[in-house]
Amino acid sequence: MTVTGMTHERLLELIATYGAEPMGWPEDERDAARAFLSADPGAYSQALIEARAIDGVLSLEEVPEPSAALTQSILAAAPSAPRSRTGLLAGLAAMLFPQGLRWPAGAALASLAMGLVGGYAYASTGIGYDQADSAYYAAFGFDSGEDWISLE
Amino acid sequence: MSGIGESDQIARAAGGDRAAQAALVNQNMPIVFRVAYRMLQDRAEAEDVTQETFLRAWKQLPDWQPKAKFSTWACTVALNLCRDRLRKKKPVLMDELPERVDTALRPEEALASRQGIEGIAEKIAALPERQREALTLCALEGMSNIEAAAAMDVGVRALESLLARARRSLRASLSAQIEGD
Repeated sequence: MTVTGMTHERLLELIATYGAEPMGWPEDERDAARAFLSADPGAYSQALIEARAIDGVLSLEEVPEPSAALTQSILAAAPSAPRSRTGLLAGLAAMLFPQGLRWPAGAALASLAMGLVGGYAYASTGIGYDQADSAYYAAFGFDSGEDWISLE
Repeated sequence: MSGIGESDQIARAAGGDRAAQAALVNQNMPIVFRVAYRMLQDRAEAEDVTQETFLRAWKQLPDWQPKAKFSTWACTVALNLCRDRLRKKKPVLMDELPERVDTALRPEEALASRQGIEGIAEKIAALPERQREALTLCALEGMSNIEAAAAMDVGVRALESLLARARRSLRASLSAQIEGD
């Protein structure tokens, strides 16, 4: 928001409060204050001289540099990255499968294929399976109802 | 820097990103240290306050709400820590002391004479605590009036009053020195 209602008193106040440099004045009053100042610079020359003197003195103020160790000690206390569950699982997987997860995945796929092929081949013969079942039931006294018993 | 950029940096720093943490410290540690030094006039104490400010920051970061710039927040924390230390040293509230009378000041003489500007740090240090805070944040660190007022937890009008009084006090101090020379 820009304030447009600048007054002589407010401009004197800005100079006495924030100094002689318009860049130091509040942003929302800066343009209006500049325009007011341009309209009658003589009315503010003494205030500006006095403010500039204080600004100049303040610009000479020196502060020592902090020690290099300060930065290090601050950073040493900074939080570390949290170890996520994914990270732990990834670490475990790396320990168990140092060659990566492609080998176990390939082995699982090969096992599945062998099971399917073997199962299909065995099922296609048919006979052995039925006889084995009938013998099993007969051994436990159940009537298998199969012809092969009468063949004995 | 503020807004999305600073929020992103803070989020990364909170998550343990060393580069983001280093950037946050490099960008904000100097102003925190300078503010603390001007308030305490003691390098070791200023470093302690700076370190404590960042320790609090590290705890605060995961719950950070971007209501203010990080630097404003850090200066608020640092000022509070400085006030605590100053209270332990000086239980007398310096702001209650009367301002110096502004005797016939010739500001141009203050600039022209090196003697007139010697010991400026001591003159700033001699200002009442709240005036010193206002002058430090606005005049010396270039904070906007709104940021400085937020850091000091006062309204803008109160900040302006403190600033104007600080500058008047400095003028009086310089004037007294010039007349004494």
